[in-house]
Parts: sequence; C-alpha cells; structure tokens
Amino acid sequence: MSSNKSNGQYEVLSPWAEADPIPIRGLAPRLTDLAGKKIGLLCNIKRAASPILATVERKLKERFPTSEVSWFRMQSMSVSELEPQNKAKFEEWIKGVDAVIPAVGD
Amino acid sequence: MLFYEFFANDAQSAMINKGMPGVRVVPEPIVSECTVMEEIEAGVDGVMDDVVAALTRPLTAEEKSPKPKKVEKPSRIIFKGNLQEVNRFFYQRGWADGLPVVPPTEEAVAEMLTGTDLPPDHLVAELEPRRGKATVEKIAINAVMAGALPTYMPVLIAGVKALKSGSPNTIMMAASTGSFAPVWIVNGPIRHDLHINSSSGTLSPGDIANATIGRAMGLITKNVRGVRKGMEDMGILGHPGKYTMVIGENEEANPWEPLHVERGFKKEDSTISLLFSQSFQQLGSYGTDDKGLLRTMVYNMTPGGMGAPWLILTPVNAQSLAKRGWTKKSINDYIVENARAPRDHFPRLPGMGEDKGDPKEPVPIIRLRPGQSNPIQILVFGGLNPLIGFLSGGYTVTEKIELPANWNKLVAKYKNVVPTYARY
Repeated sequence: MSSNKSNGQYEVLSPWAEADPIPIRGLAPRLTDLAGKKIGLLCNIKRAASPILATVERKLKERFPTSEVSWFRMQSMSVSELEPQNKAKFEEWIKGVDAVIPAVGD
Repeated sequence: MLFYEFFANDAQSAMINKGMPGVRVVPEPIVSECTVMEEIEAGVDGVMDDVVAALTRPLTAEEKSPKPKKVEKPSRIIFKGNLQEVNRFFYQRGWADGLPVVPPTEEAVAEMLTGTDLPPDHLVAELEPRRGKATVEKIAINAVMAGALPTYMPVLIAGVKALKSGSPNTIMMAASTGSFAPVWIVNGPIRHDLHINSSSGTLSPGDIANATIGRAMGLITKNVRGVRKGMEDMGILGHPGKYTMVIGENEEANPWEPLHVERGFKKEDSTISLLFSQSFQQLGSYGTDDKGLLRTMVYNMTPGGMGAPWLILTPVNAQSLAKRGWTKKSINDYIVENARAPRDHFPRLPGMGEDKGDPKEPVPIIRLRPGQSNPIQILVFGGLNPLIGFLSGGYTVTEKIELPANWNKLVAKYKNVVPTYARY
C-alpha cells in the first residue's frame, strides 16, 4: 500500500514531468573589435524596442564611427517561430551581419 | 540580448529551453513599454559598456562548449508524510498553487486513470516551453491534486492537446506580462455528463467540474509546461482566472450555432476550446431589445483593451437579438462599424502600422486584418438576466474530447457528485 490511512501517512507521486535533455549549443566566436563591423539590431513590435535600439545604434556610432548597423523588424511580439513567413528573410539577414543585439522583450 | 531587468528569470528559462544557456545578456533598467526618451537614453547609456563587452569579450571554455545538464530521473514516490506535510512539501517545491492539494497516492492516481482507456505511460504531448512530457499518468497526478473526478480525464487530455496544438501562441499568452488567463470552454453532450455549469454563476466557485478542470490545467501548466509565476509567467497584475475559468456553453438556449459547430465540429461532438483572456467585464444593458443591447456593446468597447473581444450573451440577450433577426455575423458587422474612439485614445496600434490621421477623428476600435471577418466570438452562457459580458483576449484552439469505451458506466458512478444546498 502506498498510503496508510490508519496513521494518516501518504506516499505521493511526483507531479513534475520528465523532460528529455535539450541539445545545447555554445556561443559563436566574439568579435575582437566593433570598428568596421556590421551589427544587426533585432527588433520586435513592443513599443520600446525600436527607440531602445535606435539609442543603441546612435551610441554605437559614437563609439565606433566606422561600424554599420542593419535592422530586422519582426512583425510580432514573440520569437521568430511565430513568423514562418519571415524566416527566409531573417536567415538571409543574419548572414549579412557580424553580430546581433536583440531587444525583443519589453 | 538586452532585456528589462525584471525579466531576469524569464530570460534564463528561455535560454535554457532554447538550448543556449550561455547567451550573454545585458539587463537594463528601462521600464516595459517605456515612452520617455530621457529614461531610454539614460538606461542605454548605463549599459553600453556591457553591450560592447558582451560582443567582444573572449568566450570562456564553458561558453564555447557548455556542459549538458544531467537528465532528471526523480523517484516515483517523491515524498511520504501526513496531509499537512505533503501539502507543505508540494508548496515548497513550487508544485502547488497556494490552495491545499489532494495527495496523489498510488490509489488516488489509479482511480483517476479509470477515466481513460489510454495507458499511464502514453505520451499525450510534450508541452512547451520546458518540453515536459504530459503522459497520461502525469495528467492524472495533477488532476488528483486539483480534486478532479476520473470522468474529467478525457477533458484534461483534450486540454493538453489544445495547449500543444496552440503552440507557440499558448506559450506567449501564458507567459505574457498581460496576465492572460486560460479560459476553457466545453461544448457538446459531455457538459451534462459532468455537470459543467453553463447557467447561473457559471464563472463563480461551487461546481466541482468548473472548479477542478481549470485548476488541474493550471497545475499542468506549472508542473508539465514549466510556466511558473515570476519565473516564466511574467504577468504583471496577475489574474484570478489562472486558478480556474471553465465555461459550459448553454447550447440549448443558444439560438445560433454553438462555438464548436462554428469551429467545424459536429453538434454531437464534445469539445474543449482554449482562449486566453486578459480581463472579464460585466455590463448592465442599456435595454433588453436589440437597440439597447447593441448600444451596450458599442459604447463599452475600450481602445485600451488587449486582444479581440469575446462577447458573452446570456440566453435572454441571445434570444432577444435572434428574434429580431440578428445573426453572429450581423452583430459582428454592427460592432466593427459602430464601436469607435478618437484616434488619440488608443495606447498603440500593434501590428497595424503607423496611423497618423486626425487625433480626434473617431476610428474603429476593432480593426480587421486583410480577409478577416467576424473578429468577435459570441458565446452564450449565464443566468436569465440581460447583463452583457466581455472577455478580452484572443487566440482560440478547439480539440475534440475522446471518450473511453466504458463512458456511460463511468458517468453513472460519479453522476451523483453534486452539491445539495439545504434551505435555512
């Protein structure tokens, strides 16, 4: 018996589900310097994302005048899986930048 | 990745669930949805050194090749203790919802499993974002904890399928700062088998099916999906409906097609539909004829609402409109055309592009996407009064409820579990 009602003891099962391990990936190599590099700015439709990244763009240019930026504007609030129609465009865009700064939250 | 510092837990869970635990993050202090440029300027200024460092600091060995996390293999019996100790243990582990739970013993889970023909190890779905395995047994364990009856198992299994088929929208809605609560709408004959309330006080406590089906799905959201308050669920104000919001549609009093038929199922099918709703509003009607009812609707739509509204009509409202010739479509068309607010009353127009017209010009509150019609779902339930309700929210998915072979016998066994109120 897994529970003994006479002494009020309960042996209980776990409600926490098992999960297969998620394959993990390391980070891409870092840049040695941002001068002359093209930095991608990944922006969703949350209200503050665009002005925050525009400010990042301006400050990057102040520090690294030879750097360039390239914007990718998502059409939704969430991750790219939500935007299969934009996946090809996104993959093309990502090939053309040296690093990406996402500001996709609030 | 730049994110508002309030989202530190959420960002960490997201990175792990996406298989990139080492993503370099830069928390910033700019409040969500900030509109004050001076604050954005100061916030970005304060983290620019960190942004540059995140892009240029050489990787550590762990960042290059992160070590895989050990596979969790918890023991089957997770704890032994008395009622209070079991409840404390579950609560402290983060597996409960703040209310007492029924201990999920082998016997209680075995009884719960009589509600399905599927074997305990049958995998119904892996649920995002954690990809937790919603086996029939895990569903049953959470159902026991919620106080559900075995006859609810088919509904819960279909509910889990709805969470799966609705991904990734169901992840976004459950995790949103907007505190969207899942609303579970049950259609078809099973409403009567399970005594799912569709009349007076449908959304109030007091009906075991309405109370525990939603609660069980809430525990599954926490313990299988891995969406927990302040960790992955970033709801700001929160929502009491996250305990439970289960509605039986009053199909018998609905003069139009019930929701599941509208969504492609047969009338004799039993289904569960999942909607995520941010708020629930009840309105006194401006009259009981069509003019009064429609004025109530169009005058009370708000430009600050989030998501498409669901219109809740009580049986008397629905019948008043239907007998005067109104259909779901014509009600939709009327509201879309007539519910308006000045352009500058809108907090923003997500996904609708810039709208730079006259700020005082009244513009439609509900804007149709190309090809969209009937943006407002109409649902009939509640008592016999002309109150009107709005559920603001959106994104709906419907799943058929499959019944076990011995369904009638099972229903008979639990059919008398109903409250009897003594007069005083």
